[in-house]
Amino acid sequence: MGLDALLDAFLSVLNGGSLTFLMAGVLLGLTFGVIPGLGGTTALALLIPVTYTLDPLSAMYLAGGVMGATSFGGSISAILLNTPGTAPNAATCFDGYPLARQGKAGMAIGASATASALGGLIGLFTLLLFIPVAREVVLSFGSSEFFLLTVLGLAAIAVSIKGKLLRGLIAACIGLLLAFTGANQFTGETRFTGGINYLWEGIPLVPALTGLFAISQMIELALKGGSVADDATVKEAKNMRIKGVSEGVFAVFKHWPVLLRGSLIGTVIGAIPGLGGTVASFLSYSSTAQTAKDRDTFGKGNIKGVIAPEAANNAKDGGSLIPTVAFGIPGSAETAVFLGILVLHGIEPGPQILLQNEREVYGLIVALTVSAIAASVLGLIFARLLVLITRIDVNIVVPVVVTLSLTGVYVLEGRMADVAVATIIGIFGYLMIRFDYPRLTLVIAFVLGEIAERSYHQVRLISDGNVIEYMLGRPISVILIIATIVTFFLPAMRKLPWRRMVGRAI
Amino acid sequence: MKKFLTTGATAVALVTAGAAHAEFPMDDNITFVIPYSPGGGFDTIVRQFAPAMERAMGTTVVPENISGAGGARGGQSVHRADPDGYTIGVYNIPGLTVNEVLGKDQGFKLDEVTWLANLAVATYALAVAADSGINSVEDLCALDQPAKMSDTGATSTAAVTTRITFGILGCDIVDVTGYAGSNDAMIAVISGEVNATIKPITSLAKYLDGDGGTGDMKLILTLTTEEAVPGVPTATDIGHPELAKFTLNRVIGGPPGMPAEVVSALEEGLRAASEDPEVTAWAEGAGVELEFVNAADTTALMNNLSSFYQQYKDLAAVAE
Repeated sequence: MGLDALLDAFLSVLNGGSLTFLMAGVLLGLTFGVIPGLGGTTALALLIPVTYTLDPLSAMYLAGGVMGATSFGGSISAILLNTPGTAPNAATCFDGYPLARQGKAGMAIGASATASALGGLIGLFTLLLFIPVAREVVLSFGSSEFFLLTVLGLAAIAVSIKGKLLRGLIAACIGLLLAFTGANQFTGETRFTGGINYLWEGIPLVPALTGLFAISQMIELALKGGSVADDATVKEAKNMRIKGVSEGVFAVFKHWPVLLRGSLIGTVIGAIPGLGGTVASFLSYSSTAQTAKDRDTFGKGNIKGVIAPEAANNAKDGGSLIPTVAFGIPGSAETAVFLGILVLHGIEPGPQILLQNEREVYGLIVALTVSAIAASVLGLIFARLLVLITRIDVNIVVPVVVTLSLTGVYVLEGRMADVAVATIIGIFGYLMIRFDYPRLTLVIAFVLGEIAERSYHQVRLISDGNVIEYMLGRPISVILIIATIVTFFLPAMRKLPWRRMVGRAI
Repeated sequence: MKKFLTTGATAVALVTAGAAHAEFPMDDNITFVIPYSPGGGFDTIVRQFAPAMERAMGTTVVPENISGAGGARGGQSVHRADPDGYTIGVYNIPGLTVNEVLGKDQGFKLDEVTWLANLAVATYALAVAADSGINSVEDLCALDQPAKMSDTGATSTAAVTTRITFGILGCDIVDVTGYAGSNDAMIAVISGEVNATIKPITSLAKYLDGDGGTGDMKLILTLTTEEAVPGVPTATDIGHPELAKFTLNRVIGGPPGMPAEVVSALEEGLRAASEDPEVTAWAEGAGVELEFVNAADTTALMNNLSSFYQQYKDLAAVAE
């Protein structure tokens, strides 16, 4: 099913005008991706009024171009400046930035470009396989599975913080506190808002993450001075940067299980509405870091730590179309905007979307595929040039990044309060860096906290209070419970004398 | 000297004000405030109407998204604007009405708004899974456990409608709120997580039998006085015609104290836009029920709505 339509879409994209829209989308996506604070959702939201005058298919090419390119763009700033360009790239910082500091930025960008392109392709291929059963997939994920997935995510993070358990938990609690700000979905009452109606809808994600990662990192860099790459490594790295990029490309093929796992995690998480790229890339990173034999080198510049999140990040776009083709509902913020564009053109997205709007859906899939590859090729071509950013004096980098990212935060909703949130959280984030508290656990708790609370209350109401009984009656829930338990006991099992056996089994 | 200056300033102000009235809407762009982000229902209808208004009124209409606080922030910014007709907005009705009745401070009072028109209306229906064996409201209320319903936020219009409706019917329910969107709430009915949901008929259509729908759900009641869907009982049929008061409106208003001639110019522009062939063709395709109501009738409708919700204030509030 649909193969003819897919071929048609591929052929039609090669005809003149469509390619122009697609490439315009790719360039826009890369640019918005690179700039911290500006992401795919911002780019698409700004584009909506523009697409009004286009026909639906051209609008899809433009949107697909943007969607496919932003996440790779965002990994560039994550690697070079330790500042994720978009929220899901945060996980790429952990190993990407240490690589850049060691003068291996070219290798990291090469790996990220390749993992992004291949991850995107695997995600879309999985989507095509899933289309016939998309309905069942969506229906089998209910409130119970949502809740357990958030628990799994929180558990994975809890065990991934090495040696800083208490600090990690403190940061996570602050994350939960931030997540619970705003209206309670069950009583309608507002919490922790201090009478400010800006906070009714909670602390917005993009300004918070921009503050926590971009602003705080810029404060850190500004206070330290110099440039991102160490002076010593800059001199050493002369040879490295020439062959670095292709080394990164080959690393992805060498570590293909990491690529595959990342892509699958990305697709599955993408398919679940409300979880999104940030969760996908963190889960992919933490599961790779935990099960790797050389797990001690993660966080110090392990190339697998770049491959895993970037593969997941791009694969999630394919996955997020699964609920769209099954029920016409969005699987991510980007697909929500995509459906908005259809509504604007007088098309009501519904469960029949694949039958009634085949051209637009396949147009988007083709655009995503071409975009993921085009963005990576562009990235590889310019990688050597981009690496020079790490040699620029931070006194030039910092003002530029701060201005661009705060502007981006303002542009998204046009609210000055968002800029204030980014600034306050930015200062807080710097204090966390300064006193060695992990920002990762805060982010994960912040992203997952609200979904966890909401879905727990739903399960409680649906099951008439017999939460555990209800969960045990659902096969996917049982699998998730087992996965959570394994995650918790994995570090303990490794310490036991028979750890080699366990290591092999996992 | 001071007096002279004041007189001069007043004269200038009078001349410019006079000119503005005479020229409306020619000497500036009209800003059309949308209280939600781009891509949603409010955004879409405004972006469809804006070009049609431009054709009808010969001026430029600029949609501006000011989202936040459940639509209150967009309303506030219209409220603060000069009442010269160059700033108007679409309002989240009855969401804002319900919040106001429940005593939430939204930064402005709805009865101070200059109402201009109502553009569209959506009517509600009660839906269950097609294979559920529930065929009527009685069946739903006679389950072993109180029936479970699905909704987005606890203060969303559909959730308030659900609580008041079943309160009036004297039927015990559990409203499971917190679904990410109304589509997710409907899918919860299809997957069997909950028993039923009250949603706009146009949103439910895609899951019903026939006309491009999937047939996953069926209707057991429409909140209307006249038959809206063949074979489905109405609110009147079950003896509660007051339930037909629950509708979802796209109401347009402006700042307090707009001059009458500006109101009628905008009212006329909006009316012409609602008959524009491009707008009607879009509404047909997107399943939007256009229903133009003039300024005077919209004002009456808003007052009416406010007293209606005031009457059911206790049922509208979220039970702990």
